[in-house]
Amino acid sequence: MQRRQFLAALTTLLAENGYAEGPVVHHAPKAKRVITLFQHGGPSQLDLFDYKPNLAKVRGQDLPDSIRRGQRLTGMTAYQATFPTAPSLFQFAQHGQSGAWFSELLPHMAKHADRWTILKSLSTEQINHDPAVTFFQTGFQLAGRPSIGSWVSYGLGSENKDLPAFVVMISQGRGNAQALADRMWGSGFIPTSHQGVKFRGGKDPVLYLSDPEGYDRTARRRFLDDLGQLNRLKLDEYQDPEIATRIAQYEMAFRMQASVPELADLSKEPESTFALYGPESRKPGSYAANCILARRLAERGVRFIQLFHRGWDQHGSLPKQIRWQCEDTDQPSAALLTDLQQRGLLEDTLVLWGGEFGRTVYSQGTLTATDYGRDHHPRCFTMLAAGGGFKPGVSYGETDDYSYNIARDPMDVHDLHATMLHCLGVDHTKLTFKFQGRHYRLTDVHGRVIRPLLA
Amino acid sequence: MRVLLAVFVPAMVLAAEPKLEFNRDVRPILSDKCYHCHGPDAKTKGIPLRLDVEAEARAAIAAGKLVARITTDKKGQQMPPPYSGLTLTAREKETLAAWVGQGAEWQPHWSFVPPKAPAGPASIDHFVAARLSKEGLAMRPPASRETQARRVTLDLTGLPPTPQELDAFLRDTSPKAYEKLVDRLLASPRYGERMAARWLDAARYADTNGYQYDGERVMWRWRDYVIDSFNRNKPFDRFVLEQLAGDMLPNATFEQRLATGFNRNHRGNTEDGIVPEEYAVEYVVDRVETTGAVFLGLTLGCARCHNHKYDPLTQKEFYQIFSYFNNVPELGRAMKYGNSPPLMPAPTAEQQAALAALDARIAGQERWLAARAPAIEAARRSWEQTMPAVHWAPASMRDGEYFTQGAPERFDGSRVEVDAKSGKFDIDDRWSVSAWVDGQGSVLTRISGNRPEGKGYGLHVREGKVFFHITSNWVNDALRVETVKPLEPGRAHHVAVTYTGSRMAEGVQVYVDGQPAATTTIMDTLYRPFRNAGGVYKEPVRVGGGAGKEQQFRGTLGQVRLYARVLTGEEVAMLAVGQPLSALAGRKRTPPEQRQVELYYLETAAAPEVRAAWRTLAGLREQREKLERTFPTVMVMAEAPQRKPTHLLLRGQYDKPGEVVEPGLPAFLPRRAAADRLGFAQWVVDPANPLLARVTVNRFWQSLFGTGIVKTTEDFGLQGEWPTHPELLDYLATEFIRGGWDTKAMVKRMVMSSAYRQSSQATPELLQRDPDNRLLSRGPRLRMPAEMIRDAALHAAGLLHEKLGGPSVKPYQPEGLWKEVIMQDFEYDQAKGPDLYRRSLYTFWKRTSAPPMMMNFDASQREACTVRENRTNTPLQALNLMNDVTFVEAARFIGQRMLLEGGAEADSRLRHGFRMALGRLPKPAELAVLRGSLNYHLDYFAGKPAEAKALLWQGESRSAQLPERDLAAYQAVASLLLNTDEFVTKE
Repeated sequence: MQRRQFLAALTTLLAENGYAEGPVVHHAPKAKRVITLFQHGGPSQLDLFDYKPNLAKVRGQDLPDSIRRGQRLTGMTAYQATFPTAPSLFQFAQHGQSGAWFSELLPHMAKHADRWTILKSLSTEQINHDPAVTFFQTGFQLAGRPSIGSWVSYGLGSENKDLPAFVVMISQGRGNAQALADRMWGSGFIPTSHQGVKFRGGKDPVLYLSDPEGYDRTARRRFLDDLGQLNRLKLDEYQDPEIATRIAQYEMAFRMQASVPELADLSKEPESTFALYGPESRKPGSYAANCILARRLAERGVRFIQLFHRGWDQHGSLPKQIRWQCEDTDQPSAALLTDLQQRGLLEDTLVLWGGEFGRTVYSQGTLTATDYGRDHHPRCFTMLAAGGGFKPGVSYGETDDYSYNIARDPMDVHDLHATMLHCLGVDHTKLTFKFQGRHYRLTDVHGRVIRPLLA
Repeated sequence: MRVLLAVFVPAMVLAAEPKLEFNRDVRPILSDKCYHCHGPDAKTKGIPLRLDVEAEARAAIAAGKLVARITTDKKGQQMPPPYSGLTLTAREKETLAAWVGQGAEWQPHWSFVPPKAPAGPASIDHFVAARLSKEGLAMRPPASRETQARRVTLDLTGLPPTPQELDAFLRDTSPKAYEKLVDRLLASPRYGERMAARWLDAARYADTNGYQYDGERVMWRWRDYVIDSFNRNKPFDRFVLEQLAGDMLPNATFEQRLATGFNRNHRGNTEDGIVPEEYAVEYVVDRVETTGAVFLGLTLGCARCHNHKYDPLTQKEFYQIFSYFNNVPELGRAMKYGNSPPLMPAPTAEQQAALAALDARIAGQERWLAARAPAIEAARRSWEQTMPAVHWAPASMRDGEYFTQGAPERFDGSRVEVDAKSGKFDIDDRWSVSAWVDGQGSVLTRISGNRPEGKGYGLHVREGKVFFHITSNWVNDALRVETVKPLEPGRAHHVAVTYTGSRMAEGVQVYVDGQPAATTTIMDTLYRPFRNAGGVYKEPVRVGGGAGKEQQFRGTLGQVRLYARVLTGEEVAMLAVGQPLSALAGRKRTPPEQRQVELYYLETAAAPEVRAAWRTLAGLREQREKLERTFPTVMVMAEAPQRKPTHLLLRGQYDKPGEVVEPGLPAFLPRRAAADRLGFAQWVVDPANPLLARVTVNRFWQSLFGTGIVKTTEDFGLQGEWPTHPELLDYLATEFIRGGWDTKAMVKRMVMSSAYRQSSQATPELLQRDPDNRLLSRGPRLRMPAEMIRDAALHAAGLLHEKLGGPSVKPYQPEGLWKEVIMQDFEYDQAKGPDLYRRSLYTFWKRTSAPPMMMNFDASQREACTVRENRTNTPLQALNLMNDVTFVEAARFIGQRMLLEGGAEADSRLRHGFRMALGRLPKPAELAVLRGSLNYHLDYFAGKPAEAKALLWQGESRSAQLPERDLAAYQAVASLLLNTDEFVTKE
């Protein structure tokens, strides 16, 4: 190919795929990539992180109006006659030098007490799953906006030419599961090349990755050589840079056919890896296996890695169900941190753990000695962050005695987005895409970088 | 990177023309960089100066402020201020200054004034050539005839031409050959399918509700209306009018009401925890935004929370438009399964024909009986004295699922009859219940847990009133009605309830003593069936109880009946007669009494031929009802009988109502009287509306040339892009109106132009000077849309199953895609047989997990309206075309066709395959590559019979008996063809 054609092709590649003029770094980044461990359904802050010892004294009493303040409830508990206060059944203890509180449900994550930044004063605008997850993922509650990962892909591009910039993995929990939707990792109005690529357990980690049965890699190589010839003949005749791009994309597809299975193949991981991540990690498609994959993707420079683990929606039988969820996620989440740390990756990888909202202090349904449920609670929830420029061993923000309202240092989802982008070297007010006449951004017209969170 | 990109900044504007034009050169800068603060919403921000208002802008210019403030270096003075994140480039500053220097000539925004028909000579080619010649460029020579044929066949039908069609075209050497081809394509029913594809994107059409549960809905009858409308070339203004307000047209036809499904295609939320009022607002907002984008090219939604930042649309005006669409009798919570009201039965053409045939036969039977009515009546009169002393119901009503006939029986508050066989109705079934009651408590129930608030349905006498409910969740998912008046105590009453399966109180009719009774609706928010989440609802029917001990019936109950259909008023009245037949003889009778006597006679005592005729008639009527029950429904627009008030919503929030607003049109566009949605629709299609015709022809243009004359197809407002050919756009718009909104004529005009037919070969010079082909310096060369790629492959393979319309189908999809993300009972049941190979616009579209091949190739997700076409070029597309079973199987069938139809020689077979896939014959160099590939694969499979077999067994359709090694090798070559850039490209 002539140089001019190549440059034209490259430009088309960028323009057609809508990159924001190559990487847009506004300041020196601390994080090169992000791993979000999204706990889908809304984990209970009250049973995991937000220790409220005084609740024992008011157990079973109606949530005081002074706390509830007539705030909106979901349609599921709005008609409840009483709102009995339900302290957590689980024991809490302080860990590490920082003295951070963790419940007994998360013994492994607690060992990293001094690595996490604990965000206790997050709030969201949305009270139901679908809008709340959509809001968390795109900064807006209705469908149509690009997801965080696709913004990052659009703004920063990929560090690995053989893998997509934004990868999504889903695992199934054992608790009450809510639905996910493609839009949660979709690219909205920015080009679809930035949408999250789903990696799945099983034969085809990426859709259509494997060659058909009966057709091996040598044949595929020959196939692509012939295809390249045909396409080059066309390119010579038509000079359309799109053709050059297509040739390049077929070559990348071929490389992905090697790089993705190599990536997904955990058989060469040493025993120590499986010991670290726990027994579930040998099962393809499990949260634990996905955590190992997340590390492998991070090693290979994938920009945005997002895990979704379903099953955190505990309206009833919370004590039983949350135990299951923690059994499945605690060790692998902690292992990922250890693993990244050991490999020197934690420094420039931002890891985020949390869900779309928190849960109510009052019991949904009957409160008994051993059982309670909790409804959705958008007014406060806890997330954990580590690495990538976040300040380790710090708890940020406080909630009131009932973990119902925020008492100190509030922050919302837009603020978290702004802070994440900041760690990636991106000014959230400057990463924009023009659509319908507006310069859209992830944080809409909101968002503050929360400086005290930064290392 | 930036240096590289700079080369491609369209250098066509400033250098060529020193005279600046406000609309083209200046307003875009002001809008993008200044109006966010100094625009229509300035006053609410407390900013005194508006630069979108001519007088205010002039004052600022006259005072020298504009130029001073944009050129100063002082931080406090500088505009735009540094904190805004906006900056003017040096070139923009120069432009503004130069414009001021030239006298600051102002123009109204170009798209808000009516399009002007050209004064001089006009044609598409005239304007395109004129624009090119300004740049010293000219159009390319026409593309080869094969290329033209493939291009136009793809564009007008969505499918490539077959070798036979190509031959026919190439043989026809008359000057009219191309035009004849175009006419033939426009007349093909495939044209409607092709045009519908983009309309479905714009209309956010899908087969599921979206949001969380994303359950199935049924809107395909509306989709078929769209296909049919394009095929019949319905004038476009009528097409628009019908979709916006067809239900309100005088004597609205079936089709006109069906059309309004357009504005019910938005998503519907069924999540348990939502506040329905919030989503009721979102649905209306969606209608306004979609209507704005599709018909007006305006971003109306930007004025939901505040005045529009760029266009002269106030927040109040947004809610005035909102109010046109806010009068639908609907709930904010959608039905979890199936369509949400308002809806209508929408029989297909075949069903309509079957219905008409039945009606004709019914009419024939009725005529036969009517002709003999005097004789029948005379015979009956003399017979009446012999009527027996029995309570009787006609045959059609002895089919009750639960049915007691004897004298009323005592229920003492402890007796409950249980029946596990009958009454297994769910909330979307049609049923009726009736009984003679004298007393208080539960008459008939099917309720879980033996408590009043249990799940199920029940008929009760409660505090003397007839009370009926259907309950999925007592708190928020139920339907409850009771009669206004209590039953007169101390005697038995006949009570009946019919329910149409509408899942709304309007579908419930209560009768007392055979007469419709007025009812109060206590609750009307039913949305989940008893079988929710895949559960089976097993509760039996109970007579006399089932809703708690307290409520068990005390008194007498007689003739307790349950029907799996909706009884007519007349039937209920007959059930309520309450007298033995003998008591009706020889006295003046009420109409139901009379009817009962007549029916008894017709069934049992009339002359044999009369009885036979009556039996036939009754049978036909039953058939008719059964047929009607198979009709699909479609969600449509309707007007609530009482206008719902519309409030301006502060910050756009459903729970922050501000002042009440009346329907009204925005002041910046030509106005006319528009009191309701119909008035609004008439305003949209009024030729005085400067936007509809422009926006529409621009979208047609986009679908043929790849980019609109206005690139921002969704935004013709101030932030929209200036048209590349403004006079051409106005010319097409005015011609469209003048020609009676004739869509086929407009599309024909475009594809007949030389601009369309020119070669798409570029040169390095053209790539430099017109990189995106916005000037049309060559023909369009575009990657095909997703559905066209799949359809073309199936068509070339001979697998495509062409059938117009019908329910959506589920072709191949990798396993488990839905399962990963769904909750509950909603599996992807892959189709079998021909439905695997339907055209892609019939593929079942689940919004939260859209068909993956469609998404890989940039289809819109259908969550919201999309009018801009997008094209990316990714490795996932490559994997898709190489390995998706759809394309693997299609390649096998193309390979088979090469072997069976391509002659005996390898070369002729390869030529045939090449032509089937790409619509032309290969050049020698290309043929050489194919030959090499074929030989490679023949060798490859020679030693690998198992592999050949494995490759050949993919997909559901089996091939002809051919040597497996040959077929596998030809399949590989066919796959090569399907993966070429040319296959997925409209050359």
